[in-house]
Amino acid sequence: MVLKRLKHFIKSFTLWELLKGLRLTGRVLFDKKSTIQFPDETTPQSARFRGVHALRRYENGEERCIACKLCEAVCPALAITIDSDQREDGSRRTTRYDIDLFKCIYCGMCEESCPVDAIVETGIANYHFEERGENIMTKEKLLAIGDRYEKQIAADRKQDAPYR
Amino acid sequence: MTAIPTNQVCFRTLGHDAPSSLATYESLGGYQVWRRILKEKTPPEEIVEVLKLSMLRGRGGAGFPTGLKWSFVPRTSPGQKYVVCNSDESEPGTFKDRDIMRYNPHQMIEGMAIAGYVMGATVGYNYMRGEFIEPFESCERALKDARESGLLGDNILGSGIDFDMHNHLGAGAYICGEETALLESLEGKKGMPRFKPPFPANYGLYGRPTNVNNTESYASVPIILEKGGQWFLDLGKPNNGGMKIFSVSGHVNKPGNYEVPLGTPFKDLLAMAGGVRDGNRLKAVIPGGSSVPVLPADIILKTDMDYDSLDKAGSMLGAGSVIVMDETTCMVKVLARIAHFYFEESCGQCTPCREGTGWLSRVIHRIEAGEGKLEYLDLLGDVSNKIMGRTICALGDAAAMPVISFIKHFREEFAYHIEHKKCLVENRS
Amino acid sequence: MINIEIDGKKLSVEPGEMIIEVADKAGIAIPRFCYHKKLSIAANCRMCLVEVENAPKPLPACATPVGEGMKVYTQSEKTIEAQKSVMEFLLINHPLDCPICDQGGECELQDVAMGYGEGVSRFTEGKRTVKDKDIGPLIATELTRCIHCTRCVRFGEEVAGIQELGAVQRGEHMKIATYIEGSVDSELSGNVIDLCPVGALTSKPFRFSARAWEMQQRPTIAPHDGVGSHLYLHVMGNQVKRVVPREAEAINETWIADRDRYSYESLHHADRVTKPLVKQEGVWKETDWSQALEVVAKQLNIIAKNDGADQIGCLASPSATLEEHYLLQKWLRALGCQNIDHRLRKTDFRVKEQAPQSAALPCEFTDVEYYDRFLLIGSYLRKDIPMLNHRVRKAVMLGAEVSVLNPVDYDFNFDVAHALISDVRLLSTQLAGILKALSANAPLFSTLPDYLRQVSPDPAQQAVADSLKAGEKVMLFLGSLALHHPEAGLLKALAEGIAKETSGELAFLHEGANAVGARLAGAMPHVGAAGSALPTPGLDAAAMTHAPRKAYVLHQIEPEWDCAYSAQTLQALEQAEFVVALNTFQSDTMLDYADVILPAAAFTETSGTYVNLAGHWQSFEGAVVPQGEARPAWKILRVLANLHDVEGFDYTASTEVRDELKQQVEESAAQSHEVAGQTDTSSLKSYSASRDNTQQGLVRLTETPLYRTDAFVRRSPALQQTTDNQRTGVRVSRQVAEQYKLDPAHPVTLQQGDYSVSLPWQVDEALPGNHVWTAGVAGLGAPFGAIELTQGKVS
Repeated sequence: MVLKRLKHFIKSFTLWELLKGLRLTGRVLFDKKSTIQFPDETTPQSARFRGVHALRRYENGEERCIACKLCEAVCPALAITIDSDQREDGSRRTTRYDIDLFKCIYCGMCEESCPVDAIVETGIANYHFEERGENIMTKEKLLAIGDRYEKQIAADRKQDAPYR
Repeated sequence: MTAIPTNQVCFRTLGHDAPSSLATYESLGGYQVWRRILKEKTPPEEIVEVLKLSMLRGRGGAGFPTGLKWSFVPRTSPGQKYVVCNSDESEPGTFKDRDIMRYNPHQMIEGMAIAGYVMGATVGYNYMRGEFIEPFESCERALKDARESGLLGDNILGSGIDFDMHNHLGAGAYICGEETALLESLEGKKGMPRFKPPFPANYGLYGRPTNVNNTESYASVPIILEKGGQWFLDLGKPNNGGMKIFSVSGHVNKPGNYEVPLGTPFKDLLAMAGGVRDGNRLKAVIPGGSSVPVLPADIILKTDMDYDSLDKAGSMLGAGSVIVMDETTCMVKVLARIAHFYFEESCGQCTPCREGTGWLSRVIHRIEAGEGKLEYLDLLGDVSNKIMGRTICALGDAAAMPVISFIKHFREEFAYHIEHKKCLVENRS
Repeated sequence: MINIEIDGKKLSVEPGEMIIEVADKAGIAIPRFCYHKKLSIAANCRMCLVEVENAPKPLPACATPVGEGMKVYTQSEKTIEAQKSVMEFLLINHPLDCPICDQGGECELQDVAMGYGEGVSRFTEGKRTVKDKDIGPLIATELTRCIHCTRCVRFGEEVAGIQELGAVQRGEHMKIATYIEGSVDSELSGNVIDLCPVGALTSKPFRFSARAWEMQQRPTIAPHDGVGSHLYLHVMGNQVKRVVPREAEAINETWIADRDRYSYESLHHADRVTKPLVKQEGVWKETDWSQALEVVAKQLNIIAKNDGADQIGCLASPSATLEEHYLLQKWLRALGCQNIDHRLRKTDFRVKEQAPQSAALPCEFTDVEYYDRFLLIGSYLRKDIPMLNHRVRKAVMLGAEVSVLNPVDYDFNFDVAHALISDVRLLSTQLAGILKALSANAPLFSTLPDYLRQVSPDPAQQAVADSLKAGEKVMLFLGSLALHHPEAGLLKALAEGIAKETSGELAFLHEGANAVGARLAGAMPHVGAAGSALPTPGLDAAAMTHAPRKAYVLHQIEPEWDCAYSAQTLQALEQAEFVVALNTFQSDTMLDYADVILPAAAFTETSGTYVNLAGHWQSFEGAVVPQGEARPAWKILRVLANLHDVEGFDYTASTEVRDELKQQVEESAAQSHEVAGQTDTSSLKSYSASRDNTQQGLVRLTETPLYRTDAFVRRSPALQQTTDNQRTGVRVSRQVAEQYKLDPAHPVTLQQGDYSVSLPWQVDEALPGNHVWTAGVAGLGAPFGAIELTQGKVS
């Protein structure tokens, strides 16, 4: 009983508990750091990442989308709105292709359903809107994203192709 | 050899001067039956009975007993009825009707007149294939002579019986040899087979009861009635009465038409045709025209040429068009040619035949060109089976049967072609 | 009845029926492409092959009649194997690019392929491609997709009656084509789109604009002719994207006319009025409803008060709904105005129509097929009422004889037994000749003017009379030409006379979708709703033109097209103090003469009822929301009446209006159909006064072509491009062209009294001499009056 008291007394004076706690701190202090310095650093991303959408073109510049409306039909959030008509050359094309990013749940089913790999979800995860209405991705915007990131998009699809 | 009687039925005018003339035909007893019928008004049932006894079977290919066929036409039903002669001889390897019409047209005319009398039809049409210019002219001459002698027309020889007939040249479509397509063509429509039933016996030309027979069948009728059904039956074998013209072509020394009794062994027929050319070995024979299954030499050499024997051997007598192939023949090339023919001649009505014949033809050509794969052989068999029995008329079957039989009997040769991208047969012809 | 078994289900069926019919009735599905219940059996697609017990091969269900004790297996291994193999053959040459095909999502081949197709194709050869044909403005072709079922070919032969599409070439090269490069011009041509099981034939105006799954299907009734075909509107958002037939065996079977199918295009025409418009000091201003209606109520009140309600005239379209007609007359009659009429193209009102009839046909449309003699008087039935013509054609196929009496040798799609092609001025003489041939002492002759009493039948008239007399069931059609004829009353009396002599029946082919309904609703100057008697009759359509009023109420009409005396009507409207137009569309002319334009909803946007020629009351609901501020016309009329404090305008739904009228009709003595001999013959003698017996000089012949009948079809671009619509301008007989030495390069000037127009012209071999044909041309006088023709040298 007396011994127990003495032990407690000594521990109190030598700040033993504190040192014991600082042991973890000390260990982590010299560990390899896991913090990502965003935006200077980013986490690694899968080729299957589903970020903002894009509409792709063929190499000759022809848009891929044929206005079949399967993505519109499959979209569980009803985020896609398509109007279609006959283009002057007689082919079936969209006259309007809107994705409401506020509605979109990034499930990737539009991409799955697309018979010509036109609509894709890119690896772009960082984007923002400043004005009301910017959340609607129009055909022009989607094609522009596609044009700009086509290299990456194509590389991602190629990497994933064996598993499809 | 001399034991085999020849040229006693349809070719009986051969060897006489001007064989196609009315005088020659009458000198051999022609039109006697017709005159007798006109005079005695023989009951049609009696005529049908004689035909049934004779076991004359349809010479166009199907081998349906002619007497039975005639009995199907509702003779007593009111209104117009027709008899139609199918001379649209288009099956590759067949050239017998052409010679009947060139050398003995009157016998066919007499046969049709008798058929008209039996079935109560007053109009007959002889539908010839588009290329038959010479036979057409010969038949036209014969018709003119027959009319001038009063053997055709209204109230023939004062008997009160009317019958007249017309020759019609088709436009050269194989499918018009199918009887209902022939009737459509005769009506001025596109030659496409009709769905059966109803059969032409009830709903034929212009929707009237119609009897359609092959040229050789009609031409056999007068002599059967002249000499009796038993005589005709005795010429051949039981259930395979009479003589049959075999059009022998291919690798023989003396190709041509041979009218011999049904049941003649193939090797005798081959000997009559001068044997295989250049002393080559026999490889295969298509015994009844391009649409029937091929038989390899070992089988055909043991087979007699009649309906039942060939059936047992796994092929058909068809129209009696014997295509002989010797050892220099590339079977792939033969099949490619046959398949292409059916691809070109499909009328396009039924899906399996329209789409399937093109598929078959292309795959076989691919094998022939050395681009084949082994699985094509099973594909060909499968596609053929899917065409068989699924179409309105028999063209689908006709296109499928050669493919199945060629692959069955000559599978190694096809496989060799595929593996080595060249032909098994050296110096192929 | 015989007993068969399908998939173990015991059925008792009629002998002679095909397996597929029996299976369809029993709800057993058998896949098919070439079979269609309204077409002949082709048995060429082979998709319906089924296993039948004791049959060596699978048999086509569409062409195999049932037999006693037959056992059919639609789900057996053998059946499925046969159907799968046919499917494989169908797919080898069919493109597999459903996503770009307009039929994708509603394609029979796609549907059946889901059940019978393999996931992977064994076919590695090149696929067949076929060049597309341009077959006119209505039907788009993608012939590579064709599966050769030949439904379209059989439709042309068997239903449309003109073989325009055929299968040329054979085997794999077989393709659907017009033999000679040209368009498909049948007035029923659009039906091949519905028939085509794949995307080979699709609708051109609709092409690629929507998917089947995006649209909602809403029922309605066709607003263009007296058949009232049942339609489905396919609606996406608030837009009608296309129109397809709704099956109604008694009305339109499974077909509709092209006019009904393509008129929806006009719904979004730039001419649509979407806001009430009021003209203030010559300037048009958009306004709101309350203001516009105030103006109308006030102006009409002023005129009624100062000049009498008699100074108001109302012209209504015969294609307006029953409710609109009823409310119009109820409102105006409450104001004291009886001048209301819907018979806009009629020129002869001397013989008054008796109590309104609840039908213009003596029977149902289906019964028409069983008449065996027809006499068509002044009618191009094929183009006027295509679906009724189809019934007559079916009767002809069953052996009926059709005789026609027309001023033009029209091209019918059935065999015409006797065609009397006569000077349009002599139609009554021809009919009198036929009547005389039937019975020289018919009592009617005593009431006729002298020139008809003295006719003696010529052989052609005798032949028609003999044909009619030999019939068991005879029907006489009074077509639009006869009804609009200056001697319409006489023609009707004569037709009645002939009907009486042949125990036949009379049918009136009134124009418009609701002519029978308009009569029942009382949209006529001399009888009220449900035939109620009026204290004093008002002015009919022609009289309102000849004796101009101070105010006009125009309901859904464009007088330059819709009125008999177009130029005079426009003049009358110009001089009027106040004109209010309720209309779906506006036009430059309307902006000229009108003072207020009230935007009325189109037929797709309002509820209402059409009564067709056979007397069916066919009600429909609005399918889409009216465009802009347009409102259903019945609501506009209700508010106008409210503003005038008229009693009994508290309706909250159009059905209340209909039920109110229906009750009145049931209580009244409305006859089921007009019977021969009803015409008041006392006035017939007066016709001699107006008769030009010389038949000298040129006469105008006016026809309303198929695609000019109402404002909707006139604004449908695809219909306007059809070959049928090329029948415009001026047509003259060869005789006239030679007599006047007309130069084809220059237009001709037509003159009727003070009115004249210059138009391009062409020779029409179907016209008799002395005739100048015009397609309801604006700016001329009497539609069947004398006309002068000149061709000045144009520099």
